[in-house]
Amino acid sequence: MIQRRPFFLTFLAPAVVTAVILAAALFEVLQYSVREFVPGSLNVGGFTLENFTRINRPIYWWVLLDTFYISLLTAIFSLLLSYPVAFALVRAKRDWVRSLLVSLSITPLFTGEIVRTFSWMLMLGSDGFINSLLRKLSLIDLPLLIMYTRLGVVVALVQFSMPVMIILLATAISHVDRDCEKAAANLGASPGAVFWRITLPLTLPGMLSGIVVVFAWTMSAFSTPQLIGGGKVLMISNLVYLQGFSVLNLPFAATLSLIALIAALGSLVLMKALTGRLEKRLAVR
Amino acid sequence: MTATSQAPAAVELVRVRKEFGSAVGVADVSLKIGQGEFLTLLGPSGCGKSTLLGMIAGFLTPTAGKIVVDGVDITDVEPYRRDIGMVFQSYALFPHMNVFDNIAFGLRMRKLPKAEIAAEVRRAIEMMKLDGFAERRVSQLSGGQQQRVALARAVVIRPKVLLLDEPLSALDKNLRAQMQVELSELHRKTGLTTIFVTHDQGEALSLSDRIVVMNRGEVQQVASPIELYRTPANGFVASFIGEINALPVARYERTGNEAALVLPGVGRLAAPARDSGLIHGSAVRAFLRPEHVRPALPDEAGPNTVSGVVAAHIYQGSHTITRVEVDGLGLIETRVTGADIVSAHPVGAPIALMLDLGEAVLLAAH
Repeated sequence: MIQRRPFFLTFLAPAVVTAVILAAALFEVLQYSVREFVPGSLNVGGFTLENFTRINRPIYWWVLLDTFYISLLTAIFSLLLSYPVAFALVRAKRDWVRSLLVSLSITPLFTGEIVRTFSWMLMLGSDGFINSLLRKLSLIDLPLLIMYTRLGVVVALVQFSMPVMIILLATAISHVDRDCEKAAANLGASPGAVFWRITLPLTLPGMLSGIVVVFAWTMSAFSTPQLIGGGKVLMISNLVYLQGFSVLNLPFAATLSLIALIAALGSLVLMKALTGRLEKRLAVR
Repeated sequence: MTATSQAPAAVELVRVRKEFGSAVGVADVSLKIGQGEFLTLLGPSGCGKSTLLGMIAGFLTPTAGKIVVDGVDITDVEPYRRDIGMVFQSYALFPHMNVFDNIAFGLRMRKLPKAEIAAEVRRAIEMMKLDGFAERRVSQLSGGQQQRVALARAVVIRPKVLLLDEPLSALDKNLRAQMQVELSELHRKTGLTTIFVTHDQGEALSLSDRIVVMNRGEVQQVASPIELYRTPANGFVASFIGEINALPVARYERTGNEAALVLPGVGRLAAPARDSGLIHGSAVRAFLRPEHVRPALPDEAGPNTVSGVVAAHIYQGSHTITRVEVDGLGLIETRVTGADIVSAHPVGAPIALMLDLGEAVLLAAH
């Protein structure tokens, strides 16, 4: 095997180095998670399982559930908002429309997460763009509370994840065989029926992978919930930050990280199983 | 194989034209297609045949002209309201549905009762010999089976016209021959008016009632297969259908019942004196099939015997095509049964050829 692929090991080397370092870091996290917290010190004490028993309190479970809920909402809304954009992007007849849509949907990727989150704070705050506008139009008396709410966090996360979702969906839509759509029309399907019965089912794999990717991505979101949630919306990363860098309880932060990792992996496996079954039933692949 | 152009037209194209920007895809095509006729649009790729089919199906809008089906102008009718069945080159089967659902799709769009749909689909499955495949996914089918599903799906809606867009081109040679027979049978059983698009003249000749030869968006000739082969209307048709030798431009001389071609460097060749509308003294080009050229017998020296040198033999099993370089005529192909000619006249050896110009097609040269 090595003779037939002489560069195989050489090419594999960077991946191996990265994997080894990552594994070492994870082991370090694991190691920290079973150590005693020494208040007032960054040094850790002896072996203990107390961190894991502490996890078993409703407040931590709620953060985990909230993270899951926000991620799922983000993935679903991202899908709903991205599909029409991706569809227009792929099917636009005019080149300039396509280029415009591509640049509009991709450029957010080039601005940092902090910059985008900050822009959303300007938009959503009590004196922000939306509230000022609504008040000028005399539609509301008191400012709407969007900042520091789940809604605000989800809005910002959806916008944050849309470029990726659009790219994934656009790929799926561009792979739909146009002849299948023509054949359906030829057999009597109106444009609406063609979309619901042919185009949408054929792009289902893209939709599912979009949901999985955005879900996984949002599970680890930090700065958006940190800044827009302002401590009132806690996702798992924010909880880790709070414990590790405010309370300086590194062992417990490590335990929470482990739990977050396990939860993320677990939900991904679950989603993969669900989407796999759905795809099989619809036999799209 | 009964319909002719005299039967009431199922489809009528009236000066149909399609322009793509400044390019003309289809140039003012007028055609009448009889009820139950099997009509083939034949031509090289880019000749406009698929564009024409696309306009009949409604996927393309004509720049000008009118498309009439069963007496109704459908030029501006949306594709899904046309009741025209179509089989795509790629089959375009729905990959997320099984065979039954693929075939049932058109009937479901027509909102037929469930029981009726099931019965119709069963019948189509039986007719296309797809028994036992109803629950299969289309990706599990062979090319020929996919082809039959595509046909069943198009036929089951009882369309006013059946359009076939190069449906055999994706199949291998043996399967193609078999599907030709099945297409023919299907046409006989259903009696559907069929428009078949192909670039394969063999398919066109064997399947069609009439063939429309197209080139560069224009109709070159509309005729039955036999007529087309025997009396092509112009040089393009002559060389597109089957193999043919195009002789150099000659002067046509006619005196009474005798006609001759005068070729510079060759001399006089006796030509058929059919009333072809050719004028004495005009420039003509003769087209002669390889089967109408044969090696001359040893003592034969008629007016139409020419001599040349064997350039190549192409052995085809049942027959051999021999290319002969003839002075003044260029390369002439002869087609003889068997392989004797290969040993009798090896490459490079001289050979005398007898041109059966009585079978030649004479066309005015421009």
